[in-house]
Amino acid sequence: MTDQSTHLIHLSEVVKTYDTGEIPFTALRGINLDVDRGEFIGLIGKSGSGKTTLINMITGIDRPTSGQVLVDGTPVHGLGENALAIWRGKTIGVVFQFFQLLPTLTVIENVMLPMDFCNVYKVDERPEVAMDLLEQVEMADQAYKLPSALSGGQQQRVAIARALANDPPIVAADEPTGNLDSKTADAVFVLFEKLVARGKTIVMVTHDTDLASRVTRALHVADGEIVEDRRRWLDGELAEEAAERRSVFAPPGAIEVPVVRETES
Amino acid sequence: MLAPRWRKVLRDLTSHRIRTALVVLSIAVGIFAVGVVMGGRQVLTREFDVDFEASVPASAEFDTSGFGEDVPDLVAERDDVRAAEGRRRVTVRYTQGETPEDASTAGWETLRLWAIPEFGRGGVQKLVREESSAWPPKAGEVILERSALQVDRFSVGDVITVESPAGKKVELRVVGYAHDINAIPAQFQGAPTGFVSMDTLALLDEPDDLNHLLIVLDPTISRSAASRIAADIRDTDLSAAGVNTLRTTVPEPGSHFLGDIFKAISLLLLALGVMALALSGFLVVTTVSAILTQQVRQVGIMKAIGGRRGQISWMYLALVASYGVLAVLIAVPAGLAAGRWFTEYAAGMLNFRITDFNPPWWVIAIEVSVGILVPILAAAFPVRRGATLPVVSALNSGSSVHFGHGLIDRLLGLIRGLPRPVALSLRNTFLRKGRLVLTLTTLVLASGVVMGVLSVRASMLQTVDDMGSWWNYDAQVFMARPQPRAALEREARKAEGVSAVETWLESQASLARADGSENEEIYALGVPADTRFIAPELVAGRWLTPEDEDGVVVNTDVIKDEPYLAVGDKITLTTRGVEKEWNIVGIATGQLMGPVAFVDREALDAVIGSSGGVTRLLVQTSEHSSETQERTARDLERRFDDASLPISGSQTQTAQKETIASQLGILVTFLVIMAALLAAVGVIGLTGTMTINVLESTREIGVMRSIGASHRSIFGIYITEGVVVAVMAWALGAVLSWPLSVWLVDALGTAMSLPLSYAFSYTGVGAWLVTVIAIAAIASLLPAWRASQVSIRDAISYE
Repeated sequence: MTDQSTHLIHLSEVVKTYDTGEIPFTALRGINLDVDRGEFIGLIGKSGSGKTTLINMITGIDRPTSGQVLVDGTPVHGLGENALAIWRGKTIGVVFQFFQLLPTLTVIENVMLPMDFCNVYKVDERPEVAMDLLEQVEMADQAYKLPSALSGGQQQRVAIARALANDPPIVAADEPTGNLDSKTADAVFVLFEKLVARGKTIVMVTHDTDLASRVTRALHVADGEIVEDRRRWLDGELAEEAAERRSVFAPPGAIEVPVVRETES
Repeated sequence: MLAPRWRKVLRDLTSHRIRTALVVLSIAVGIFAVGVVMGGRQVLTREFDVDFEASVPASAEFDTSGFGEDVPDLVAERDDVRAAEGRRRVTVRYTQGETPEDASTAGWETLRLWAIPEFGRGGVQKLVREESSAWPPKAGEVILERSALQVDRFSVGDVITVESPAGKKVELRVVGYAHDINAIPAQFQGAPTGFVSMDTLALLDEPDDLNHLLIVLDPTISRSAASRIAADIRDTDLSAAGVNTLRTTVPEPGSHFLGDIFKAISLLLLALGVMALALSGFLVVTTVSAILTQQVRQVGIMKAIGGRRGQISWMYLALVASYGVLAVLIAVPAGLAAGRWFTEYAAGMLNFRITDFNPPWWVIAIEVSVGILVPILAAAFPVRRGATLPVVSALNSGSSVHFGHGLIDRLLGLIRGLPRPVALSLRNTFLRKGRLVLTLTTLVLASGVVMGVLSVRASMLQTVDDMGSWWNYDAQVFMARPQPRAALEREARKAEGVSAVETWLESQASLARADGSENEEIYALGVPADTRFIAPELVAGRWLTPEDEDGVVVNTDVIKDEPYLAVGDKITLTTRGVEKEWNIVGIATGQLMGPVAFVDREALDAVIGSSGGVTRLLVQTSEHSSETQERTARDLERRFDDASLPISGSQTQTAQKETIASQLGILVTFLVIMAALLAAVGVIGLTGTMTINVLESTREIGVMRSIGASHRSIFGIYITEGVVVAVMAWALGAVLSWPLSVWLVDALGTAMSLPLSYAFSYTGVGAWLVTVIAIAAIASLLPAWRASQVSIRDAISYE
C-alpha cells in the first residue's frame, strides 16, 4: 500500500452494518480502495450489492460503522454532520439518479444554491459562473425555467451543472443515467468524459454495462465486497458481463453462476 | 439580488398556494379567536368600569315619604357625604299612542318614571344624553332610557299615554333617549325607564316634592361602614328634617347590579380565551410539523450539495415565520374588527357605553406571539431534527415510515374481513403516529370545547326551565295596597277558565346584622304553608309547615348577602316597623327575584297587622298557553278595576319565564357566539390538517392509481381516513366536554350566586358529529380529487 496522502480517495477496512429489522445487515465488509486524481471510476454490481452504500461512504452522505475514509486528506468518517456539509459542498459534487432538483427554484437558481450555501464566488459573479456551467451542459437557454418544465435528461444536465457549482475536484454520481433513455444517457456520459479530461475525478454507480466499458476503472461490487478491480475491460469479458447482467432478469429457476475474477494489479 | 436559498423560501410560500393559504388560515383563525375573546373581555371589563365610575353611582339610596329640594343640600353638607341628589320616583302604566276611548287600563305596561330637578347637571348617577330633540324635557315630554328600545318600539316624536298612580291619564311625547348605566335595563325588569322634569309631575297630579335621595360616599369604605353612615343620615339629618325613610339601600361599594352576570361573562371569556389560546397553539404546532415533514427530502438534497445545519434551519424558520407574519397581518385586524362588533353587541345587551374599542397592548402582544413565536417554537424541534438527520435518511424519508411493529399496528393487522380499501384507510390513519397524536389532540380539544360550550348553553336553558317549574301559576296580579282576601278571591273565581286561586301577602323587610348594620333589601313573602303555586327547590333544610308560626325559608340570594346564615339560625326581621325573630328552617334556590324570606301568610299578617289583607293574587287556569295566561291576566285586571280594587300590575308565567330567560339569555347568547367562534377554529383546523395530510399522500395516490385503483376507491380510502380521525376526535372530545362543562356551569353558578341546573347537550354532541363527518369528508375529498387529476408520473415525483 502506498502513502495515504498521495491518493485523492483512500478507504481502509470500511464496514457498514444496518440495524434494520431483527437481523443486522452488513452492506460493506471491509472495503479497501484507493482512487487517484483524474480517474473515472465505475461502481458496478447488482441491486443490493452495496455499491450505493460505498459511494455514500465517499460522499459522506452515510457513515461507516468502522474503518477510515480519507478524501483529499480529510478524514470524512470523523467529521460531524455540519462540517461534512461544508466539506462536501466544496469537495464533492453529488448527482442523484432522480436528479433531485429543488422544484421551486429555477434552473440557474438550483445551480447557484451550492455557491450560496458554501459562500463560493462573489455574489455578483455567481450568475455568470452558473451560466458558464449551464453552457457546458448545454442548458443555458433553459436557465430561467423551473425543473418541472424540463425532460429527465435536461434535469440531469442541470443536476451535473449544480454538482460542478463550487468547482469540486470530485463528482460522485449514483446511477446518473438510470432514469434516462440510452441516447440521453450517452450524452450525459460524454459530459462526464469531458470533465475527466479537464482533470475531475468521477465516481459513478451504474447498472449500464455499455457505459461501464467506457470508464477508466471499473469496480465490481458483490455482497459488500469489491470482487473485481479492472482498469480497462476487454471486449470478450464485456460480453460475458453482459450475459451475467441478463441473468439478473432471467426467469425464476435459472441458476446464476457468480463470476469471480482475479484482480488486476 | 436575493440569494437562491431565500428565493426558495419565497417560492415555497408562493408556489404552493393552497398549502400556504391553509397554514396561514389555520394559524390566523387561532389568533383571531384569541383576539376576539381576550380582547373582548379586556375591553368590556375596562369600559364597563370606566362608564360605571364616570356615572358616579350612589353609595346609598333612601326611599322616603317625601322631602323638599333643600334636603339634599343639607345632607351634602355632611363631612362624610361627597354629593347628594333628590329625585321623585313614580311608577306609572303606559300604552303606546294617544289616549284610547276604552277606560280600562288592562294590558297596559309598567313604566318607571324619574322626575329630576336639575336635569343633566346632577352629580349622582349621571344621565348621558343620547339622541334627543329637547334637553331637558319640558312639561309633557319624556326622555327614555335607551334600553327601552329592547322591549318596545319607541321612536322620537311618538306619543304615549300614561296613567298616574292617582288614576290620571296623560299623553307624553318621547323627545329622546338617554343612557343611565344605573337603571336596570328594560329587558331585565320587563319595564322601561323614563325621565321627566319636575313640571310634568303636576300634569300627573303627583306631589311636586322629592321622594328618593341618592348620596355618594368615599368609595373606598366598606359596605357596613356605608350602611352605618346611611343609618346615621336616616336617623339624624332626615329625621330632623321630618323625612320618613321607608327603605335604605346600600349596595356593595363599586358593584353594579349586573355585576354577577358580568362576572360570569368575564369568567366565561377568560376560560374560553385560555382554551382558544391552547387550541390555536396546538393547531399551529400540528400545521407546522406537517409542512416540515413534507420538506425532509429537500433538506436531504440541500445537505448533500453543501447546505449547513444553520443555513437550512434558518431557511425553514424564516418560512414558518412568514406564515406567522401573514397570519398576524390577517388575523389581528380581523380580530380587532370582530372584537369591536362583539364588544358593541355585548355592551348593548348589558346597557353600557364603550368609548375606546382598542384592547390593551398585551392582547395584541399575545396575538403576535401566538402567530409568530408559537410557529417558530413549534418548528424548532422538527427543523432541528430535519437539519440534523443524516443525509441518507433524509433522502429516503418517503420510505422510512415504519408500520407493523407497534401494538396498535398489530391489532389493526388482526382485523380481518374488512374490504381492502377500508383496511388501508385504517392502517394509513395510524401510519404516522406522531402526526396522528398532534392532529387528534387539536381536534379533541376543539371538539371538547365546542361540545362543552353547547352543554353549558343547554344547562342555562335547563335552568330557565327548572325555574319555570318552580312556579306553578298561570297569571298573577299585584295590588297597589293590601286588599281584603275574600273580595279578591271571589272576583278571581268569576274569571273564565280559572281553576284555582291563591293569595299572598308581601312586605319589605330589613334584617339586623350583628355589627348593627341592616340589610333592607329583603322581601318577606307570606304564602300559605301548603301552597300549591310554587314548588320550591331546597338546597338545605325543609319547606314551611302550617305549624311554623316563626319558621322562615330564605332563598340563596339572601345567603349571597348574608353568607354566615344557616338552617337552624335565628334572624330578626323588621317589617312595617315591627321586629320579629324567625327560625331558618330551609334554604331555597333563588329565582332571579332578589333576596326573599318565605314565611307563613298568617304569621306575617299577625306581625304587620294587615287583618286579612293580601297584596298578590295568583291563579291557575285550566289551560296553560301564553294566550290564555295573557287573556286571564287582562280579565282579572279589568274585574279588579271594575270592583275598585287598586292594582299595580300583573304578570303571566310566560312573561316571567321570558324575563328570567332574558337575563340568562345574555349568557346563552355569549355562549353561542363563543361556540360558533371555537367551532370555526375547529372546522378550519380540521380542514387544514386533513387537506395537508392528503396533499402529502399525492405520491401514494399516484402509486395506487398505477396499480389500477379507480378514482372512486381512492376517494373512498381518503374519506374513510379523514372520517376515522374525525370520529375519534369527536368521541374523545365528547368525553372531555363533560368535565369541562360541569366545571364551567359550576364556576358560572358560583360567579352568579345562582345554583344552575346541569344538562348534557346530546343535541350538541350529535350536531357536532354530523359537522365533523361532513368537514372530514369535504376536507379529504377535495385534495384527493385534486391528486387524482395529476398524471401518475407527476404524482409519483410529487414533492
